[in-house]
Amino acid sequence: MPVLEARGIAKTLGAGRAQRRILDGVDLEVQAGEVVAVLGRSGSGKSTLLHLLGGLDSPDAGRIVLAGQELTAQTPRALAKMRLRHVGFVFQSFHLIEELSGEENVLLPARLPGAGRDGERRARRLISELGLSEIAGRRPHELSGGEQQRLAIARALVNDPELVLADEPTGNLDRENGATVLALLRNLRRRAVVIVTHEPEAAAIADRVLHLQDGRLLADDGRLSAEGARLRTARVLRESA
Amino acid sequence: MTGLGIALAAAMLVAALVVSDSLGLGFDRAAHAAHLPDVIVRFDLQDTARVRERIAALPDVAAYTVRQEVTGAGFETAGNFADNGAVEIVGRGRRGYAIVGGRDVSGRPGEVVVERGLAAAWGLKLGGTLDIDGLGDERIVGFSESPDNVSYPLAVPRVYVSEAAVYGAGRAPRVNLADIWLRDPRNLDEVLVQARSTSYGLRGVRFVTRSGVRVLLDQAAGIVIDLLVALSLIALATAAAMLAASARAEVQRRLRGIGVRRAVGASRGYLVSVQALEAAFVAAPAATIGALGGLLATYGPTTRLLVLLNEPAPGSALAPALAGAWLGAVAIPVLAAAWPAWRAAGRPPVALLRGAELSGGARGRARSGRGPAIPRAGLTVLGARLAGAHRVRLVATAATLGFSTAFVLLMLALASALSSLETDPGALGRRYQLTANLPASAAAHVRSIAGVQAAAPRYEAGAVDSFSLGETIDVIAYPGDHTIFEAPPLVSGARLHGAHEAEVGLGLAQALGLTPGSTLAIELASGPELRLRVAGVVSSLDHDGRIAYVPAQAMLAADPGTADGAQLAVRLKPGASASAVSAALGPSATPATGAVGRGVPLVAVLRSILRAVAIVDGLVCLYALIQACALIVQERRRTVSVLRAFGAGPSAVRRLLSGAVIALVAPAALLGILLERALLGPALAHLAASYVTLSLGASGTEIAVVLAGLVLAGAVAVAWVARQIARESVIAGLGAS
Repeated sequence: MPVLEARGIAKTLGAGRAQRRILDGVDLEVQAGEVVAVLGRSGSGKSTLLHLLGGLDSPDAGRIVLAGQELTAQTPRALAKMRLRHVGFVFQSFHLIEELSGEENVLLPARLPGAGRDGERRARRLISELGLSEIAGRRPHELSGGEQQRLAIARALVNDPELVLADEPTGNLDRENGATVLALLRNLRRRAVVIVTHEPEAAAIADRVLHLQDGRLLADDGRLSAEGARLRTARVLRESA
Repeated sequence: MTGLGIALAAAMLVAALVVSDSLGLGFDRAAHAAHLPDVIVRFDLQDTARVRERIAALPDVAAYTVRQEVTGAGFETAGNFADNGAVEIVGRGRRGYAIVGGRDVSGRPGEVVVERGLAAAWGLKLGGTLDIDGLGDERIVGFSESPDNVSYPLAVPRVYVSEAAVYGAGRAPRVNLADIWLRDPRNLDEVLVQARSTSYGLRGVRFVTRSGVRVLLDQAAGIVIDLLVALSLIALATAAAMLAASARAEVQRRLRGIGVRRAVGASRGYLVSVQALEAAFVAAPAATIGALGGLLATYGPTTRLLVLLNEPAPGSALAPALAGAWLGAVAIPVLAAAWPAWRAAGRPPVALLRGAELSGGARGRARSGRGPAIPRAGLTVLGARLAGAHRVRLVATAATLGFSTAFVLLMLALASALSSLETDPGALGRRYQLTANLPASAAAHVRSIAGVQAAAPRYEAGAVDSFSLGETIDVIAYPGDHTIFEAPPLVSGARLHGAHEAEVGLGLAQALGLTPGSTLAIELASGPELRLRVAGVVSSLDHDGRIAYVPAQAMLAADPGTADGAQLAVRLKPGASASAVSAALGPSATPATGAVGRGVPLVAVLRSILRAVAIVDGLVCLYALIQACALIVQERRRTVSVLRAFGAGPSAVRRLLSGAVIALVAPAALLGILLERALLGPALAHLAASYVTLSLGASGTEIAVVLAGLVLAGAVAVAWVARQIARESVIAGLGAS
């Protein structure tokens, strides 16, 4: 069973003349241990797709199933619980909290009400495994971008989520640090990883590369994915009927 | 929230203005309107010509009138009755009172002018009638106001009728009151000395001076004014600090927009004026609503208080001050908004377009090095740290809350003190619970009644001091140890022991410069003089501390007639039933009261003002907490959104905000309690009455109530802001700069 399954996702943003259908029947399946890279130009809807997959926003149409539970039918409170237990986010700007040390930042999701019990142990292990022990006591502004992003990845993993969603994880990093971060994301065992980026280097570490173009996900060869083609055909037929 | 802050600040400012202007300038307004004399002299009835002769001999007299004041007169209207009224029979010349409704008495029979306080208390109308003993039904032609005394029901009811109406064409043959106006009031002391020396033959002379009345009223009004001004300044400072922070956050949010406009050529002045104009659009209506609220909350109670003080309401005289307050309440937020815009617009457009911070934010202030291990309550601690990220604001908000807490505690302590003065005889140092109109010879019988611990005759007489003019004294005497029945705390010296010793109240000691060992020389109202050695000074609220305890034998030797008016003071055994003893004593028994009678309007009015101030103060606390939380969330929007992205639900957000609230409330509560107990309470107790030691330290219950109120305000602030957060999209917060 896939960790993440999205079917016919549609999303329209803006209003009036500025209204734009940014996602138009997106289908996606991601298995445990699989790394999927979604590439697209700026404004193509990559981040919107990531937000929908992570339960931060709701699609106008379609359904998303995460770890066997449908996200689109959940209340905001239940969605928060789903994110807490099943999703880890990695952001382009790291989003570490300035008042907390690196270790405290990593621990924070594990301290949220409803989080699992092994958070602290897992946090220490992650800090050690990711080579962050030396810098764990420092505040974010004392760290390099690469160190901050590695701490952010540790934070994303602290609740042992099945799905890691990374939004331009190397966007604010130099080439060397970017490569380190991508290697880390590549090696997240058992987890499904979706990376949205406009940097081709990210594609090199992915099991599958998809392109978001005109609201649709295209396979690396420029064709719609098999599920996408089937759904699009059905929609065209419906509209012409 | 910005509008609420401005409205609250405006309300406090206007409330302070109304009360300070009304009470601070009320006496001057009333004295000017009434053409109040510099000296009012009361004496026993004397031949009019003789009195005129004496006054004419005084130096520097610009004008004077003499009149007869009939006391103990019965007044009656439908449903109202008083048997202690004062009728002043006025002749030609100056009056010493202002007509505030209708007209003055014309000389035609059957007309009366009624003091406004009496008219308000009894609901008297112009054209109505008042039945005065000996005169019959008199038509009410006017209402008067004179600040030489407080009004009914704090003092006796007072009316004015014309001399011509009572005595026909002739003048009153005998008078007992003279109003004297001086050419130069600075010569008052010399005139009083002269008056004293030329008043031989006039008995029972008592002087009331304009400056003396003013000092007494200023003392009382000063406390309320000081409190309100301090509170309004705190509210204004809070609002200004919050508005400045809010404006800064708003400008920070708009930095890119400002950068774009600067890049396309908008001038710095233009951008500042746009920001200021936007602030003015919020501030003007909010200040108007707040000012109206403050006016409505305080004008009514203050006017009622002024009626009791025989002073006029400020009316249109308040308009310029109110306009100034309104302008201030609008100008401060406009400036608070314009300043960060001015600073931002002065930066290079390229920096603005990058969204650079307006000034060093949390990044610049965060401490380096290994932080402490995050405790178990991680979110609460994080909330506290977020609140502490802006230390100046944390200190300012905590100080605001602390001062507000201290003031609310003070209000509660004052209310308790008022209640105690109203109902508790112990507030006067009285240890007896009942009095009985029985002769001294009945004391032995009363002592035999079950439940009675002690009973003794209590002699009381009015007196004036023989040296310093104008001071009236309440003289009290018991046979034997008076501390069995009345034991006001001893301030200095010792209790009286010998037949030639006295204890004096602190108010009297201060007025006459008495200390233990000095001589108290008093003239009893009936004429004889008493000279006693001051054994000790006591702290007593009774008669403003102008009180003297003397041995009964000395008093009775000087004036045996005092025995006629004596009552029996009855002290009960602990746990004895006052009603049972009262029943045994029969109808002559009366419960002992506090310093003021129950239900006295002044107390009720003061309570209204205290309540209004406490409510506004509580709202200031609530506003400060909500605004502080909202500002933290506004500035740390991304942090909150990251937490929500990682699965923080409503309860986690509330926990985070609770940490911020605790960081603000905990030091504030401590500061408030310390301030009240160590500074404000003692200071106000001293201001309230220098002749007595009042306990205005908040009790444990009052502290618990205020702490519970702070916790409740914090909970409301957390719930309110958490609700606002829940409505916002997580994604919008993640994208916030």
